Amino acid sequence: MADSSAAPGSRRAAPVAPEAVVQLIVFRLGDEDYGIRIEQVKEVTVTPEVVKMPKTPPFIKGIANLRGDIIAIVDLEERFQLRPAGRPVPDFSYTLAVEAADYTLGLMVREVPRPLTIPVSLIEPAPEFVQDSGQRDKYLEGIAKLPDSEGVIIVLDMAKLLTPSEIMRLPGRVEPPAAKADEAPNAPTPPEKP
Amino acid sequence: MKSRDQEYRELFMAEALEYYDAMSRHLSELERNPQDTEALNELFRLMHNLKANARAMGFVDMGEVAHKMETLFGQIRGQERTFTGSLVQLTFGAVDTLGNMIRAVGAGQESADAHVLLDNLDRLIRGEEPVQAAPEQTTEEADADAGRKLELSDLVYIPVKKLDNLLNLVGELVIDRDRILTLAAELGNAALQTTAQHLFRISDDLQYSVMDVRLVGAGVLLNKFPRVVRDVAAAENKQVELTLAGQDVQIDRNVLQLITDALLHIVRNGVSHGLEDAATRVAAGKPAVGQLRISALTERDDVLIQIQDDGRGIDTEAVRQKAIRKGVITAEAAALLDEEGVWMLLFEAGFSMAEKITDISGRGVGLDVVKLAIDSLGGQLRVSSELGKGTMFTLVLPTSIAVKGALLVELDARAYAVPLLHTDTVLALHADEIFAVGGLLMTRVQEENVPLVPLRQLLYVEGDEPLPRATRADLPADDTLHQVLVVSYNNRRLGLIVDRFLRQQNIVVKPLSKPLDTIDLFGGVTLLGSGQLCLVLDVPALTRLFLTKRP
Repeated sequence: MADSSAAPGSRRAAPVAPEAVVQLIVFRLGDEDYGIRIEQVKEVTVTPEVVKMPKTPPFIKGIANLRGDIIAIVDLEERFQLRPAGRPVPDFSYTLAVEAADYTLGLMVREVPRPLTIPVSLIEPAPEFVQDSGQRDKYLEGIAKLPDSEGVIIVLDMAKLLTPSEIMRLPGRVEPPAAKADEAPNAPTPPEKP
Repeated sequence: MKSRDQEYRELFMAEALEYYDAMSRHLSELERNPQDTEALNELFRLMHNLKANARAMGFVDMGEVAHKMETLFGQIRGQERTFTGSLVQLTFGAVDTLGNMIRAVGAGQESADAHVLLDNLDRLIRGEEPVQAAPEQTTEEADADAGRKLELSDLVYIPVKKLDNLLNLVGELVIDRDRILTLAAELGNAALQTTAQHLFRISDDLQYSVMDVRLVGAGVLLNKFPRVVRDVAAAENKQVELTLAGQDVQIDRNVLQLITDALLHIVRNGVSHGLEDAATRVAAGKPAVGQLRISALTERDDVLIQIQDDGRGIDTEAVRQKAIRKGVITAEAAALLDEEGVWMLLFEAGFSMAEKITDISGRGVGLDVVKLAIDSLGGQLRVSSELGKGTMFTLVLPTSIAVKGALLVELDARAYAVPLLHTDTVLALHADEIFAVGGLLMTRVQEENVPLVPLRQLLYVEGDEPLPRATRADLPADDTLHQVLVVSYNNRRLGLIVDRFLRQQNIVVKPLSKPLDTIDLFGGVTLLGSGQLCLVLDVPALTRLFLTKRP
């Protein structure tokens, strides 16, 4: 079904242009497959020893020493609230070191991430209806439907996720949701100095 | 080690040769296009700088030539004359002479007598023609000019950023070195241990060399102050005599950079608030001219920068009342503060002593900036003052920001480092040495009540609510000793209850990278010899957190 020349993603008019492909690193969060463009991934490693860091949101697992770089380790399952209730954080996990403009961040995933090459044309822009509390769709590049019913891969746009203010943001506090407006008076107030 | 003189001479040479090259270039440009104002302005500036440097080094002739050239270019700039005629030839000759003089300095020789040139320059400035109309060059001289070697400076300019990078790399090396030492000791292999020891010595030397490269004389900053003081004194209509001392004291260039604003604030403050105007001084029986002294000195591993005035001193009661009025502190708490405690209030945010707003100070910002800058370096600020006699501010600064002494403490099987600069005492307390007052645990340390708080509570109790009220019933009934690290910040002591003390050690602090750099409780992180990560506690932030959360 994937006729590349007619696919919506293909902007080139040249009929014989070689099919543009994209290499992804694919990993599981919750029960879904996610992908990041390989050029945004610095390395994949077994999660090093993580030191818990006080005063950080719970999805920041702590800091770890990755070849001399001290990086923050983020649990994306927790960040996007994708972990099914009752499933524990694994003792053994993998970390994808991803590069932002001026720092490196570790994304903790439970299973070995795998590389995957797919035609760019398979990635469709994210549909509008993906609305969940984690606001995950804000960080989506698109969704890739694999041929032969091999499922879908949600492609994340790391550049959007990796601004320091985004990564530190608590999922519940993304934007004051209209339904929770009655909670507004309880919004955190700056601490008063005695 | 080179002598200070030699170092200054090399610096002078490097700059002067650069000026000389630039002068030759701009002079050629000006010859091609006498209307080139940019080249003209540059020449004027270069002559001015060379004059200042040469005079500072005591090279009188060079300074004179540059001075007269500056005057000439000033005249051309002021359109009193044009860059034509005999002037062109003479200026080229003068620049060559300057070049020879600079080279003579480099070779340690006396430079040739310049009075003919100086006389000719004087004549030109007066609007006369130079005598001898600059004699035709002999063939010999022309040959010498044409055959002159091109020379490159013996010094290289290095952007501070590159030095920062070098220092970071050395920091990493030192961390790995400690790890290798630990591993070698664990493995018990003699050959490996010897090699590790060697690595230890080399990397130590390397670290000190890199740190040494970054050191500059405190004069780099202090010498900017005569002008600052003059301006402030003029604006405030005061007579001030500034004395500088300790310009040779060596300090890391970045430390100096970070305290520039702080020092500026204190000095301005000293002139504008500390020193009285002449009439008030005379009425108080003091000389009309106020004295301000900025000095740098070394004390153990620290550099002290002291700013001392002989002005009116701090009116402790006025500060106390003002702090209460401004809501910086409650009347009850203020009443308990001793003199020094009150003085430290000057450095609280939003506190400004000036009753009237002037250009110079009194904008409600200022001294709190000083405190922040010094905190960020892990330094200290001391104030001493006597009413009617004067005030002295002392900035205690680390010579270098790379290595810090720290005490390692353990909490829940994790090590945390506390910079020694902020540690006060280590105590092991029996339960009966601890008492509860107003929901706070306290103990007596040297005649002073010091509040105690479990570090665990400060670090891990989330939310902005006050800590639970503590009573002695919270203490375990058995006679375990409570390990307490007393830290001090702003003359305020706080006892942190930890699990145990590990050891004292020099650490290389790495700053936390984004996105965690916003968490101010930690000054950074360090790697221990075991390869473990260790968070470095920031005592100022910890103290502030305690003050906001105390029950």
